[in-house]
Amino acid sequence: MYGSGEAQVIALRGVSVDLERGRYTAIMGPSGSGKSTLMHCLAGLDTVTRGQVFIGETQVTGLGDAGLTRLRRDKVGFIFQQFNLLPTLTAQENILLPLSIAGRKADPDWYKTVIETVNLSDRLGHRPSQLSGGQQQRVACARALVARPEVIFADEPTGNLDSRSGAEVLGFLRNSVREYGQTIVMVTHDPAAASYADRVIFLGDGQIVDEMTEPTAEAVLDKLKGLDVGTGGA
Amino acid sequence: MLRASLKSLFSRKLRLTLAIVAIVLGVSFLSGAFVLSDSLTARFEKLLRSINQNVAVQVMPTEEAADDDPQPLLTQQQVDALAQVPGVATAQGDVTALGVIPFDVRDGKPVTTQGAPQIGGGVTGDDPFALVSIADGRWPTAETEVTISRYTAEQAHAAVGDRLKVYLPEVNEAREFTLVGIVAYEGDRDSLAGETLILFQEAFAQRTFYGAEGRFSGAYLGTEPGVTQEQLRDRVAPLVPAGFEAKTGEQANEDAANEVQEGLSAVTTYFFGPFAIVALLVGIFLIFNTFNILVAQRAKELALFRAMGASWGQVTSSVLVEAVLVGVVGSTLGLLAGIGLGMAGSSALTSFIGAQLPGAGIQVGATPIILAYAVGVLVTVIAAFVPAVRASAVPPLAAMRDVARPDKPLLALSIAGTALAVPGAALTGAALTGIGGLTLPALLIGVLLFFLGVTLLSPLLTRPLAGLIGRAVGWGISGQLGVRNALRNPRRTAVTAAALMIGVTLVSTASVLAASFNKTIDETISSTIGAEIVIQTNSTQGPPDGTIGFSSEAIDEVRALPGVDQAVPFYLTVDARVDNGSPPFGGVFAIDDLAVARDMFALKAVEGDLRTLGPDEVVADQNTADSRGWSVGDAIPVELNKGGERPYRLVGVYESTPIWTDTMILPQAAVSNFNGPLAFQAYVSLDDGTDPGTVIPEVESIMSDYPLVTVGDRSSLIDQFTSFTDIALGIISVLLGVAIVIALLGILNTLLLSIYERTRELGMLRAVGMSRGGVTRMVGTESVVMAVFGCVLGIVMGIALGVAIATALIDRDFLTTIAIPWVSLIVFVLIAVVAGVLAALWPARRAARLNVLAAIAYE
Repeated sequence: MYGSGEAQVIALRGVSVDLERGRYTAIMGPSGSGKSTLMHCLAGLDTVTRGQVFIGETQVTGLGDAGLTRLRRDKVGFIFQQFNLLPTLTAQENILLPLSIAGRKADPDWYKTVIETVNLSDRLGHRPSQLSGGQQQRVACARALVARPEVIFADEPTGNLDSRSGAEVLGFLRNSVREYGQTIVMVTHDPAAASYADRVIFLGDGQIVDEMTEPTAEAVLDKLKGLDVGTGGA
Repeated sequence: MLRASLKSLFSRKLRLTLAIVAIVLGVSFLSGAFVLSDSLTARFEKLLRSINQNVAVQVMPTEEAADDDPQPLLTQQQVDALAQVPGVATAQGDVTALGVIPFDVRDGKPVTTQGAPQIGGGVTGDDPFALVSIADGRWPTAETEVTISRYTAEQAHAAVGDRLKVYLPEVNEAREFTLVGIVAYEGDRDSLAGETLILFQEAFAQRTFYGAEGRFSGAYLGTEPGVTQEQLRDRVAPLVPAGFEAKTGEQANEDAANEVQEGLSAVTTYFFGPFAIVALLVGIFLIFNTFNILVAQRAKELALFRAMGASWGQVTSSVLVEAVLVGVVGSTLGLLAGIGLGMAGSSALTSFIGAQLPGAGIQVGATPIILAYAVGVLVTVIAAFVPAVRASAVPPLAAMRDVARPDKPLLALSIAGTALAVPGAALTGAALTGIGGLTLPALLIGVLLFFLGVTLLSPLLTRPLAGLIGRAVGWGISGQLGVRNALRNPRRTAVTAAALMIGVTLVSTASVLAASFNKTIDETISSTIGAEIVIQTNSTQGPPDGTIGFSSEAIDEVRALPGVDQAVPFYLTVDARVDNGSPPFGGVFAIDDLAVARDMFALKAVEGDLRTLGPDEVVADQNTADSRGWSVGDAIPVELNKGGERPYRLVGVYESTPIWTDTMILPQAAVSNFNGPLAFQAYVSLDDGTDPGTVIPEVESIMSDYPLVTVGDRSSLIDQFTSFTDIALGIISVLLGVAIVIALLGILNTLLLSIYERTRELGMLRAVGMSRGGVTRMVGTESVVMAVFGCVLGIVMGIALGVAIATALIDRDFLTTIAIPWVSLIVFVLIAVVAGVLAALWPARRAARLNVLAAIAYE
């Protein structure tokens, strides 16, 4: 599972952050604050020029393409803003894709649990084009969860959804942390989305400027307003 | 508008380059054919000019009289009279014959040429026109002496003083001579165009070639200064006897050059034509696909034009302007490549025939240039037309947002395909079985419709057929994803595969026909020819008419050999007038004893009787009799090479077989009306238990004086029949190569587009843990599925067409059996797999090296 304490990140401009295992962390900040870059560095999608990134015991920095591929395959799950499902595959095939790529079999009990949690049992044979946005994102969530990665990175997971579907997906993500101890790191600019997290980290100009635990939407919004003034606007 | 579309044109150079390659290939074959024949002709023309440079007027038989037998000749008096004409400076009577063949001094084998004439001549001393001059030794002065050209000496390994054996066609025998001199051509050349030249003492040559001294086949005249060629021609004209004409040297050169040009352009057209057609046909698909892709990629840009007020027509023509530009660039490059091809071909061909032609520069006439641009541009515009219309259908709204381009249903396309394929197949079938007198044009139209129909239907076949192929090649998750990608856009996959389909169809059809032909020949020869030894004549020195081959005395000697049971000589001519029409195309045979031939070739009488023919009797095969409406008892007027027309009574009709179709057999007596008395072929049966291997050398030694004659066993006969199909298959395989290269570019093109469109998917796959190798395998599988799909479609169509044509040929007794060359067809599939892998190399590399972050990042 995701490291507690050992997972140290030095990103952007001398940013150093520990993200705890089994918790739901949101990274917030205005556009250009570096929040996406931070997540990409954490996930091994982007490389840092200086410093180190660890996931659990694994040092991400310094891994070659093959090592990064293995890391993403075995330890990391992704949820994207644009769902990024393969149109040629059914919902079920999409969910099982990372396992197929890794050549692993799904744990049948866990698979059943995931499917029930995301409430997709009757949509498994459908293709992405036959699913609504919310359903597609739930398929993407299931795809990230079913391999039981050490950490799931979610990049604006509700950016392309209406508020009701967004709430469904966010609630589902929080449940997977609370009930199954999944570690999730989510990038968002939406205070309502951030309020589902256990902890919010605020970024501004490539630096951590603040953080908050047990956030509410109002508190996050207030904090953001303050930050906008403090950093001279985004 | 124009400027805008030009700008976007240059920003997509790579993709257009692929389309241009197809045009370049097609146009280069097309223009190469013309450049080659024009350049070679120019070299021959220069050669002719140097041969005739001192000849002002030549007196030669007219074209009609040249084929007469006996050939028209000039007497010594007539030549002398020509020499007396005021203005004539030199006059020389011409004594030449063709088919005068030297034997190699070292190994005794006849010296042959690659189609160049083998000339014999008579001389009295120095050549007044100085075309040849002594390089070593002297001119022949006795009838046992010869002087030969340097090239001939090289080929025959002969030196002055050697004994040289020479075959004399008019007397049908080989004699030994003493080599007393070697000549070189003007300009110190060994030969003019790879011919052999043997010069005899003039009186001996006249006796041998023309049967009497003081005879000439023509005369050459040189002019005194101040008298033009035309003036001299007009002055000698009254003295020219019937059957002859006087020509100026200029005119003679021009006529000869035209003849050379006709022959050459026929050869180059037949050789390069199919390549150009295949390349352009396949190219149409590639260009069509390329423009479709361009239009799809530019949908937003085009929509913006529409939104800014560009009309439907403006958008269409902007795409067509691109097509014209691509066509012009492709044609230009193709023309340049064609010129290179022509240059290479010209030197390759001349060195092949051993000719030392003078250089005459590379000739690029107006025809290849006009044709190159016309064809190149036309093909491109035709191929781009549908995409252009499609471009104009992009709604202006598409500029504002991502407009999903849902796959149009395939129903309309499939109905259209069926509407073309079914009548096409029906028409093909009807034409092949000859229903309603339908012929070649109907067959071609039928095949074309069928082809188009299947092409339109192929998107429908993509899911089931390519899916099936995918099961075989889609290993692992990467493979499976690749297969799904190939099935994703059936139209695109089908169009891409169609390029390969065309080439493979052509080659498969030809392979089926060739295999059927070879099997037919093999079976027919094994089962119907009761001869162990076959004596044949190489007819490169001219068509059979009794002047090439071997004498009946030689056959008598063979009959007398121990172990020989029967020998049947075939006398053959292809130049005859039968029933006031052309001769049967299998030839007009004469056989001394039909009864023996009947037993040896298992000929079956359908009507009448197959017995030894009387002097006025004839038999024919059933196809000939049926198609000409002959029945037993009819008198058939036959005019042979000489002796005028006479009636022969049809006494029997035999069953047609692939060997005996379109033939007729005359009695031995008819040979006296052939141009010469020689037999062209003979079949020899042996006593039981005699080994052909012991008899063949003896037959060979009897035939050793006949330079064009070869002796072999039955398999050599099969080889002779099948060597033609082997050559044809060789050429067709090269055709397949051309088609594959273009089809490969098409696959490459489609893959690059797919990768571009699926950037985000590729990024996601990499993000969830697919390795670079996995991505490479995925793209490779997609490519292989497309290639094999096209190949399998082509093979299926090729088998269908091949079997249909073969069935029709069985009806006409050209074939007895159908053979499907499975091994070759499987090899085609393997080639397609390799082609698929090759086409995927670069796109797969691009896909695998994709920056994951850039791929999944949005906006």
